[in-house]
Amino acid sequence: MKTSQYLPAPAEVIEARPMTERETYFRVRLPEPLGHKPGQFVMVSLFGLGEAPISVSCGPHEGADIEMVIREAGSLTRALCRLRPGEFMGVRGPYGTGFDLQHFYDRDVLFVCGGLGLAPLRSLIQAVLSEPVRFGEVTIVSGCRTPADELYRDELTAWAALPKVTVIRTVDSTEHQPWRGRVGLVTAPLDDLELAPERTTAALCGPPVMYKFVMMSLLNQGIDPDSVFVDLERRMRCGVGKCGHCQINHIYCCQEGPVFQVNTLTELQEAFR
Amino acid sequence: MVALQCSEAVISAWLRSLTRITTVLFPQPGPHGGFHFHPVTQDSAIGFGDYRPSQSPPGKLFTPSDEVLLRFEGRERGFVAHPVFDEQQRILAGVRPCDLRAIHLMDTVQADTPADPHYLARREQTTIIAWACATPCSERCFCDAVGALDSRQGADIMLSPLPDEQVLAEALTESGEALLASLKAPKCDDPAAARAEHEAARPKPFGRQLKADVPAIQSAMQDAWRSAVWQRHSEACLACGTCNLVCPTCYCFDTYDELDMQAPGSGQRCRTWDGCMLREFASVAGGHEFRGTIAARHRHRIKRKFEYLPERYEGAFCVGCGRCGTQCTVDIDIFDMVNEVIEEVRA
Repeated sequence: MKTSQYLPAPAEVIEARPMTERETYFRVRLPEPLGHKPGQFVMVSLFGLGEAPISVSCGPHEGADIEMVIREAGSLTRALCRLRPGEFMGVRGPYGTGFDLQHFYDRDVLFVCGGLGLAPLRSLIQAVLSEPVRFGEVTIVSGCRTPADELYRDELTAWAALPKVTVIRTVDSTEHQPWRGRVGLVTAPLDDLELAPERTTAALCGPPVMYKFVMMSLLNQGIDPDSVFVDLERRMRCGVGKCGHCQINHIYCCQEGPVFQVNTLTELQEAFR
Repeated sequence: MVALQCSEAVISAWLRSLTRITTVLFPQPGPHGGFHFHPVTQDSAIGFGDYRPSQSPPGKLFTPSDEVLLRFEGRERGFVAHPVFDEQQRILAGVRPCDLRAIHLMDTVQADTPADPHYLARREQTTIIAWACATPCSERCFCDAVGALDSRQGADIMLSPLPDEQVLAEALTESGEALLASLKAPKCDDPAAARAEHEAARPKPFGRQLKADVPAIQSAMQDAWRSAVWQRHSEACLACGTCNLVCPTCYCFDTYDELDMQAPGSGQRCRTWDGCMLREFASVAGGHEFRGTIAARHRHRIKRKFEYLPERYEGAFCVGCGRCGTQCTVDIDIFDMVNEVIEEVRA
């Protein structure tokens, strides 16, 4: 029988937990395992409201459950965030290239996560931390606007307690909330890191404004642009290189990305605008 | 493959007779002017002489606006959804070389992995009868300059007007040959010679000519990131997206859901045309606009036609039909923009 790539599979909500005022954590169960790579995304829908690209937030595994963080931004995501266990959403994918672990094996790994960028990068963090012997030192720099906006707080604390792992948490402003991490932009701690640039691979994900400054800092410290990977956000309607919304110059973010080796973006003037 | 020769009147009568077996779409004058590809009836006038480019390109038949992709029904646990395919047989006749070229380009794009099954379902059930132009169809025409004038790929039957109101009818595919069996006309023994006769009778140069050929334009576009052309034309532009809407190679789309008011939880997921000239086209949920200025959007539209898609596929993705210039609300013509880029890069 002829089928369509636009047909989503029903995914049952197994766990739904508000993480912040705007973001909700989901674990959903698909009819079949997704078989995703870290950094890949899915198209999530509620019939009647539409569809949006959402990053998979868990590392690769063989089960049928996937985890996601959904931020309330419009009517669709607002309705998604109200779903409770036993209810369903539509999921199709996985889409995009994702992170290739080959670039990270036997390397020190630096994660720079801005705000919601921690959600997709967690898929790679989990993949790395699940086989620590294959990687060197791991540094996770995670920044968000205020303490109340921090995602995966318990996990950041748990990761920090692991051998060979350093976690630096920062907020733009404490807004008088209790906070024991640093205060300042996510770029600020980068210059103080004692990285071994020749053996460090970095993975970045955050708001558009973040990339330029983080890359400047990393390249100044001598990290090879071949070893810097970014996970970019774009408007997407199809996930399969047809709808045109995610185009960055001549490439389709949904097909050739959303994860890019920074080197491959130097010719693309629209990549970091 | 078979080739026949007969008068234009015989062709017109034959096209009308085909409506007895299937739907035949042919460009017809609309009630308020302009041509539209509409189903032919027994009363329809079928003529080739007074053609002007149809308001909407015929290739849009394969990705109509507001097409239904899926139907869904809510269930107590989850939902069921089914894809919808339009597999109605049709004949699309009177397609001009520029639009034929565009259809061939869209065939390439939509068959590219992962192929679009909704496009292909319509496309596979459609037989195309193309008409080679004897003269430019409007003062905006520049199909020759972008290599679209002699398009044949994508057509099942090619009709080429010859002197003395004669027409050469060539089958280009097996389904074209099967259809041509119903045309009662004498065989053409030397179609190549007849084709040469058709070409020799065309005015030269044919339509407007650009200041460089397609490969040179592609390379000029690569050097035109900072061109002043984009900003210059932005000053008049209203960013209304008409140029996208009427372009035979614009295929970007948006999706939306429609609920059935009679059956709660049921409805359909649809897609409709979108345009890169519209402000929200490249904006994300957080509000960031990746192409926030009209100039950046013009640059993207023109580079997509002459640089980005040609790099990925082959040849210019502008077919020189002139629709965007003709229908632009403030008279911006892609032809002028391209010529200005060529001049600027040469200077």
